[in-house]
Parts: sequence; structure tokens; C-alpha cells
Amino acid sequence: MTEQHETIQSVTDGIYNNLVTSMIHSIVSKETAREKLLRSRYGSYKQYHYDPNSQLDIHGNPKQQDSSQYFYCENCGREVSGNRFAAHLQRCLTRGSRR
Amino acid sequence: MTISSNENSASLRAQIQQCLVESGNYEAISNELTERLLKDGWVDEVKKLAREEISQEDSPNFSKALSQIEPQALDLVQQSTKDAIMRKITAFLEEIVETE
Ligand SMILES: [Zn+2]
Repeated sequence: MTEQHETIQSVTDGIYNNLVTSMIHSIVSKETAREKLLRSRYGSYKQYHYDPNSQLDIHGNPKQQDSSQYFYCENCGREVSGNRFAAHLQRCLTRGSRR
Repeated sequence: MTISSNENSASLRAQIQQCLVESGNYEAISNELTERLLKDGWVDEVKKLAREEISQEDSPNFSKALSQIEPQALDLVQQSTKDAIMRKITAFLEEIVETE
């Protein structure tokens, strides 16, 4: 071993490096474990879709118009347009209770 | 406690390390470093780097990912954070080490 002369500076460097590298080790080991777990659970899982234009959702689909979605009303048994469902309930539920 | 710097360097470093830990200074400095790195956004940046690296690999491997990420992550530490931590360590060393 070569007898290098240690200075305050060189020891400080060493301690600082130990501190930072141990943080890097812990981050990388957590991320490696996380990726291994995801792969063992879900095989080759897909990343969430990212659209830089903010138009597509996490599955890469555009927004569906609310008016094109229909919900089944348990009270009257009819299909009601999604964007009118609350208004429908107001009428449908009061009509039901009056009966 | 005083450590004379004419010891051989390995045992000098070991003694200083032990002294740092026993005095509680190691924990304090380590906590401050963690806090600063979190606040600087460094922790999230390194996580992102690690994720990108690991997700590209056919089989995630710690040592391989580490060798890719460590040099970049060390460079990414903000100068102000590095300076502040180095100053703390130096101040502690100046108290306990005898220099010629
Ligand atoms: Zn109804």
C-alpha cells in the first residue's frame, strides 16, 4: 500500500462520497427490486401512455363524449345519457316516491 | 478525542469514521444531506434515471444499473448542497484531527 498523505480535504472528500454513494445505492436497489416485482407479477407490463399534447389518456385513448355514454337507471330501468343522469335522477326518484 | 494524522491512512479513516458515528455527527450530517437532496429534487431525478435505465434492461440487474447511474447521480448533486455538507464535515474534522 502506498502511504498517501491524508489531508482534511481528502478525508472530507472520502466521507462525502460515502454518504452520497450510499444514497445512490439505496435508490438504485429499491428501483431494481420494484421493477423485478412488477415484472414477476405482471410479466411484460405496459407503461402508462403519455401524450405530450395532453389529448390522450393513460391508455392512449381520446376523451369520450359524456353524451355518448349511457347508464342504466335502476329506478325506472331505462338507459340514460351520462351527462343528463343527475337531472334524470331528480325527476325519476321524486316520481318514484310519489307513487 | 484527538486523532493524530501521522497514522497510516486506512486506520486514520476508520478512526475518524468511528468518531463521527459515536459523536452523533454522522447521523446529523447524513440527515441534513438527505433533506437537502430531497428538497433539491435530486432524489426524484436519480429515481427517474434509475427507472429509465432498469426498464430498458432485459433482466434488471443492480450492479449493472448502478455502474450506469452512479457517475451521473454524483454529478447531479447541486453545488450548494455539496459545499454545505463538505463544510460540515471539514469543521468536524478540524475539531478532532491534529494536523502538523
Ligand atoms: Zn330512471
